[in-house]
Amino acid sequence: MAAAVKTLISGVFVILFCLLFGFCQSLFRGDTFKRQVTMELNPGSTGPHLGVNLLHIRAVGRNDTLHFLFCNQGAPTLLLVHTNVSSSIVTVNWTLFLARNTSGSLKIEPESSVLYSTAVVFSRLWEYNDLNDTADPTSGFFPPYELQDFIWSPLNLSDMTALLCGANATSISGSICFQLSVFEMGGRGLSWPHLLHTANSSQVKVWLDGMLPRANNSRFLLELQAVSESYPLSRVEVHQSIDDEYTPSVFKVFQWVSAPNSISDILGFVQWKPVAYRHSNPSLEDAMPCRHSDPHPQNSEAMAASSGVIRAFYSQLKPFGLNVSFGLAGDPFYINTKFLSWTVLVGIGSPPTDSFSPVVITIMAIGLGTPLVLVLLGGMWVCMRKRTMESTMTYEPIN
Amino acid sequence: MAGSEEHQSLLGDEGESSTSREPDRPLAAICDPSRLPHRVVVLVFMCFLGFGSYFCYDNPAALQTQVLQDLSLNTESFMQLYAWYSWPNVVLCFFGGFLLDRVFGIRLGTIIFSVFVCVGQIIFATGALVNRFWLMEMGRFVFGIGGESLAVAQNTYAVNWFKGKELNLVFGLQLSMARLGSTVNMNIMGWVYNQVKGLVGKPGYTALGGSLMIASATCLFSLLCALVLAVLDKRAEKILHKEEGKTGEKIQLKDVKDFPFPLWLIFIICVGYYVAIFPFIGLGQVFFIEKFNFSPAEARAVNSIVYIISAPASPLLGFLVDKTGRNVIWVMIAVVTTLAAHMMLAFTFWNPWIAMSVLGVSYSLLACALWPMVAFVVPEHQLGTAYGFMQSIQNLGLALIAMLAGAILDSRGYLVLEVFFCACICIALIAVVMLYFVNYVRGGDLNQSASDRARVLKEATSDAEIKRRPIKLTEGDLARLAPMSAFGLRNRYLSRLGTQLPDHCCTHLSSLAHRSVLK
Repeated sequence: MAAAVKTLISGVFVILFCLLFGFCQSLFRGDTFKRQVTMELNPGSTGPHLGVNLLHIRAVGRNDTLHFLFCNQGAPTLLLVHTNVSSSIVTVNWTLFLARNTSGSLKIEPESSVLYSTAVVFSRLWEYNDLNDTADPTSGFFPPYELQDFIWSPLNLSDMTALLCGANATSISGSICFQLSVFEMGGRGLSWPHLLHTANSSQVKVWLDGMLPRANNSRFLLELQAVSESYPLSRVEVHQSIDDEYTPSVFKVFQWVSAPNSISDILGFVQWKPVAYRHSNPSLEDAMPCRHSDPHPQNSEAMAASSGVIRAFYSQLKPFGLNVSFGLAGDPFYINTKFLSWTVLVGIGSPPTDSFSPVVITIMAIGLGTPLVLVLLGGMWVCMRKRTMESTMTYEPIN
Repeated sequence: MAGSEEHQSLLGDEGESSTSREPDRPLAAICDPSRLPHRVVVLVFMCFLGFGSYFCYDNPAALQTQVLQDLSLNTESFMQLYAWYSWPNVVLCFFGGFLLDRVFGIRLGTIIFSVFVCVGQIIFATGALVNRFWLMEMGRFVFGIGGESLAVAQNTYAVNWFKGKELNLVFGLQLSMARLGSTVNMNIMGWVYNQVKGLVGKPGYTALGGSLMIASATCLFSLLCALVLAVLDKRAEKILHKEEGKTGEKIQLKDVKDFPFPLWLIFIICVGYYVAIFPFIGLGQVFFIEKFNFSPAEARAVNSIVYIISAPASPLLGFLVDKTGRNVIWVMIAVVTTLAAHMMLAFTFWNPWIAMSVLGVSYSLLACALWPMVAFVVPEHQLGTAYGFMQSIQNLGLALIAMLAGAILDSRGYLVLEVFFCACICIALIAVVMLYFVNYVRGGDLNQSASDRARVLKEATSDAEIKRRPIKLTEGDLARLAPMSAFGLRNRYLSRLGTQLPDHCCTHLSSLAHRSVLK
């Protein structure tokens, strides 16, 4: 009996210890790694820059630097450059940069320090007339909105974010906006889908607001292109996660990664959850599933022509493109709310992965631990009681 | 079970004496209330009496995606539909039997409750047709007033017509009909909706209202059965000169203060367990679609597996529990397996057919082991109150947790919701563990094996004889016996004498006819 109790005790302690360990780990696991972030608009510019805004964000780590470059010249583009020194700088030859016809007008110096670079270009917005509500984007396409032809407002900077809005030259109302956020340290987005981010990533939220659709049954697709010199982003991985605490009812994460050899070698990624929202201040019922097509190689010349930053930074490039379509069959059409927002994470290194929140772990630990402790205490008490009963028992029952 | 068999044999003679009375003129077998063919006809109506209510209860779960989308609801308001069903029953669990016995009588009472069910469902459907959510909630409230009490009425009819005859079989059939109603609803409503959608031309609240209106046909049918039953019962009363059926339920709220501690633990188990089952089934469909990528039809099927399994499992497990005794251990097993099933759903991507099947079996096991326990801790005259109270707080728990579950899902997602359900079951588990020790220390008979119970019963019968003579207990005797109040002593003896646990010990009778037990 005593031996059994002993094994029971040790078993319970092992379980409690494991739970406690998991709890602590999840509390302190959230990157304590920090970067020093500074923002600079139009670096090195002296003269007029014709409404072109180039935002340079420098995120300095212990012995490396991340350069984020976000520009409104042509299609909205986010360029990420990772260098292995904390003193690397950006130099721009503004005359050449504004002329948009040669590469090399945008440089990271020293060039030898560049470890990896990747860029995401939001190139087109497709609209199709989903007459039969099948949400199958194969027919009924309208001519796409070329985002490079949009009229972009100047960048609106605030604390760690930059907002870029633009509209079609011919459209009367509505706009498409891109909000770039960078982070000093790991954490989560403030609004849905609450993407988990690290200091090595930035988040772009895209939304359509008030743009008039060209048909009542219109649905939209967003075309993304990812560019890099070597190791292009050529593969989309899907990660199933049981944890939907931060994005209710979404159990998948898609990550578009460069695919050299194995998971551990991922150099850069674009990560998103397959969910878009139909309201600017969404609740669960405003969520709408998304799908994406497989990444395909794109024409590099057309690519470079569409974006000022790509032309200026890359001399040779391997672009891959994919479309993200919003809404499945049966979902309400865009015209109902005339709003659509979608969020994507762009970063270097391995994409962040979700883990259980302390709330979940605490509840499970208490919930499972209490009955175990009760069984243990009760068992011990019963044993002791039995022993004292045995010793004080003076006579047997008569029958 | 054992109780009802005994009951059957005890009352057999009485039944025969009443049927042996020859009617004045000979009747065809099918028309003669004292003959089996006629009773079979009555049985058919009796079974379909509850069909409508069971069919429509889970309409929201069966059409969850459509309800959410067509009325653009969030999950919290969706779960209000279930909460509103439970609210009236917080009170009605106490008064349903009283209303049937004293106020309306069984025939009128049954018709009235059927009308409530029917009108409730029609209001519910109308609310959907005109896209007014408050009207739908009101419909569910009215539906709830009728639903649970109708189940009590149905059982009273069964006892009245089949007492001493084929009662167990009839209960079994009614049970199967109830489950059939739930299962058919889960699997057919999606199809009905699609047909109506085809007719209307587009999805939307009109299609939803239309399909709910079609569902209310089952309630109309049940109302028709209630009317026919009333006529047949009246006719039988005239021919056989028998009395109108009574639930025989007595509820005295002041008994609540006398409830022993183990009974409160049983209440906690009941609430903690059932709130993790019914709201979960209400929310299940979308969960299986979203997390496991099931098609809507498949999601509805896996959601209904709990009901399908419990149909054959309940009698089997009931037999097992009756034969082995040790109810606390069985309850513990049921709670632990349910916890395991919920954890499977929460933390793995394993095929939900596994978890839901485990849930179905453990759910049936719990119903078989938990409900009879009340009869062991409460004297017979308080059983009605105890069961009424138990179901009342269960309904209160269901209403509150349904709303809370919806809110949790909306803001924190399915993982936290499942963890919340696990926490509820953990509370039930804590209560079971405490019940085990309390029972052990008090030397209660909750956890005795069936053979021990039989032996105690035998001893108690002879003991009771001795007890009649006043005996002065010596101090030693007092020390060896656990100190007990007079109430406690009587309580134990009453419950040990097998005859003192009649109707309620069998899991089907009157106050046990409520939805949670039946399903």
